[in-house]
Amino acid sequence: MAGNARNDVAARRSVEQAALAYMVTGFAIFLVMGLLGLLMRLQHAGWIDLGPRWFYRIMTLHGAGMVAGVLLASLGGVSQVIAARIRLSPRLLWSAYVVYFLGSGLVVLATLVGGFAAGWTTTYPLPVRGDWPVSATWAFLLGYTLVAVAFLLWCFAVLVGARRVFGGLTNALAWPVLFRRPVGGEQPIPTGPELAATVVAIDGVIAVLAGVIYLVPIFAQLLGLVSGFDVLFAKNMLFLFGHTLVNLNIYLAVALVYATLGAYTGRAFKMNFPVALAFNLVIVLVLLPYFHHLYQDFAQPLALHLVGQFGSYAVGVPAFFVTIVGSLGLLYGSRVRWSAPVIFILAGLWGWTVGGMAAVIDGTIAINNVMHNTLWVPAHFHSYYLFGAAGYTWAYLFHRLSGVEGWASSVLARRLAWSYAIGAGGFVLAFFLSGLQSVPRRFAVHLPEWQGLAQVAVPFVLLLVIAFGGLLLMALRSVPAAWRLPVAEPTGDD
Amino acid sequence: MQVGVGVLFLLLTIAWTGVLWWVATRSGQAVPYERVSAVVSRVRRAGAPLVVALLAIAFLVSLLFLPYASSRAQRLGEPAVTVDVTGRMWAWELSQTTIPRGQVVEFRVTAVDVNHGFGIYAPDGRIVTQVQAMPGYTNRLLFRFDQPGVYTIRCLEFCATGHHLMQAQFTVQ
Repeated sequence: MAGNARNDVAARRSVEQAALAYMVTGFAIFLVMGLLGLLMRLQHAGWIDLGPRWFYRIMTLHGAGMVAGVLLASLGGVSQVIAARIRLSPRLLWSAYVVYFLGSGLVVLATLVGGFAAGWTTTYPLPVRGDWPVSATWAFLLGYTLVAVAFLLWCFAVLVGARRVFGGLTNALAWPVLFRRPVGGEQPIPTGPELAATVVAIDGVIAVLAGVIYLVPIFAQLLGLVSGFDVLFAKNMLFLFGHTLVNLNIYLAVALVYATLGAYTGRAFKMNFPVALAFNLVIVLVLLPYFHHLYQDFAQPLALHLVGQFGSYAVGVPAFFVTIVGSLGLLYGSRVRWSAPVIFILAGLWGWTVGGMAAVIDGTIAINNVMHNTLWVPAHFHSYYLFGAAGYTWAYLFHRLSGVEGWASSVLARRLAWSYAIGAGGFVLAFFLSGLQSVPRRFAVHLPEWQGLAQVAVPFVLLLVIAFGGLLLMALRSVPAAWRLPVAEPTGDD
Repeated sequence: MQVGVGVLFLLLTIAWTGVLWWVATRSGQAVPYERVSAVVSRVRRAGAPLVVALLAIAFLVSLLFLPYASSRAQRLGEPAVTVDVTGRMWAWELSQTTIPRGQVVEFRVTAVDVNHGFGIYAPDGRIVTQVQAMPGYTNRLLFRFDQPGVYTIRCLEFCATGHHLMQAQFTVQ
């Protein structure tokens, strides 16, 4: 018995160390990719000249790396939060980390050394028709495959663990709460983060499956087994994979809001009917908006366009009324401690919602006809990614490393957090205005009349660099202690 | 269109910023959570149906302005002029580069290598409409140009190194 207990403690410690490695590595990747983003905005401002080849390589790596880095960090954060009850296999987590790292390494090599520059979305048939060596395409797509495999391993680990703990998948999805029926035996009710993790794992498997359907024919074409395949079908699978993956990242980050905010407000998110309903709706709704990427593919059946607009409108409603309104309820009148994690979450509530509203506007087919592939698109996804998915994840990371009373509550940390909020706000605002000006996205060279807003954006990006650089230095000092003595999971959840 | 989008977005953003400011400035007070929780429940019960209703209305109204060929043919009439458009890395080929003002034009847009985006910029620098150029498909884009001048076509779907150079022009007169 004592041996089992020791093994359990060792396994739990290993999971917490793996989770920390995920978060710190993800944060480091985020910072490096952010610097690449700064280079792109400097180019747009007309202040440096990277040349189109290097610009598009950097653009491809920036997009792929940001998604990979933030996703890795939020997977780590959620692993830490749910580890208390959903016992994830430490061996599996570490294996996924290694696979993820190898995949990311291949993507870096493919872009910086191989010259691959098809954008992070790699829309078929561009990966096989670009002006770079075929070896670079192989490296990039194999890198994506490895990252997808690592994510799939995490999804399976969560699903297996949740099924074991809650006595079935329906219990893990809080159906007893949703349908107001009693839970049998000793089965617990999932917390918000546990429910969010299960939902992400289910949709994650579907997204990866779509990614496989997208990638296998490309590999077949690279091997000379087929001459090509339908571009419209490929695009559907690509965005079912890519759009869904990016959106799932936000729901992982939402789980981290649940796990963080309570510690500073003394209040807890409760599992109740609205929460259960919202996350069960999300399972379906998050799969629908990807069609808005294909509105301008007029050959797509009209019904699918309309499904896309419905999904784009509907998916934000549960998230807004459960997570955002619920978070405001936790904050209001709570005598909250305005620590850096709380500032990140408040900024996240702003940016996630603003980005969501912009997405709904652009998710309207008639409007999309003049906004699609302008800088309005990166404006809205940078809003909910920088403020939401990444911001919430960094809030949890700082909370994990600092605790309520630690360095994250210092005056310096709070000033850096406000600097982040202002920097991110100015940065995305310039994108929005450029979108209204019809400035195309993914252009290596901007006309002189487009450069002004990029020049406005650069100081805000520099403010972001200062904010994150400072917070990195403060956070790094806490990492060795957190590694040696993993703390108990935050108590912000019910 | 862009002006309307900008005004709507600005109003929504200001309103939302105001809500957050109001909550944040009252977060330092001590209010029993039971009271706050009851308000949150009321906001959810009243707000969710209201937002769903507004979105449903927006959805239905937006259907009147779909950019697809059949919808535009109903609004603008059948096309009087047809222009064949082919995109390739990194150039546009148009069957004609002069278009009559005030008549409905049908662009038949395709691509021979990879996906491109056929984006039409008005003389004032704003996009007026767009459609994807896809290998293996011909997309029909209907539009009526009421303003004379030189219009610029820019590729709006990333297509590698020469993407930003992939431009052409036509004249409306």
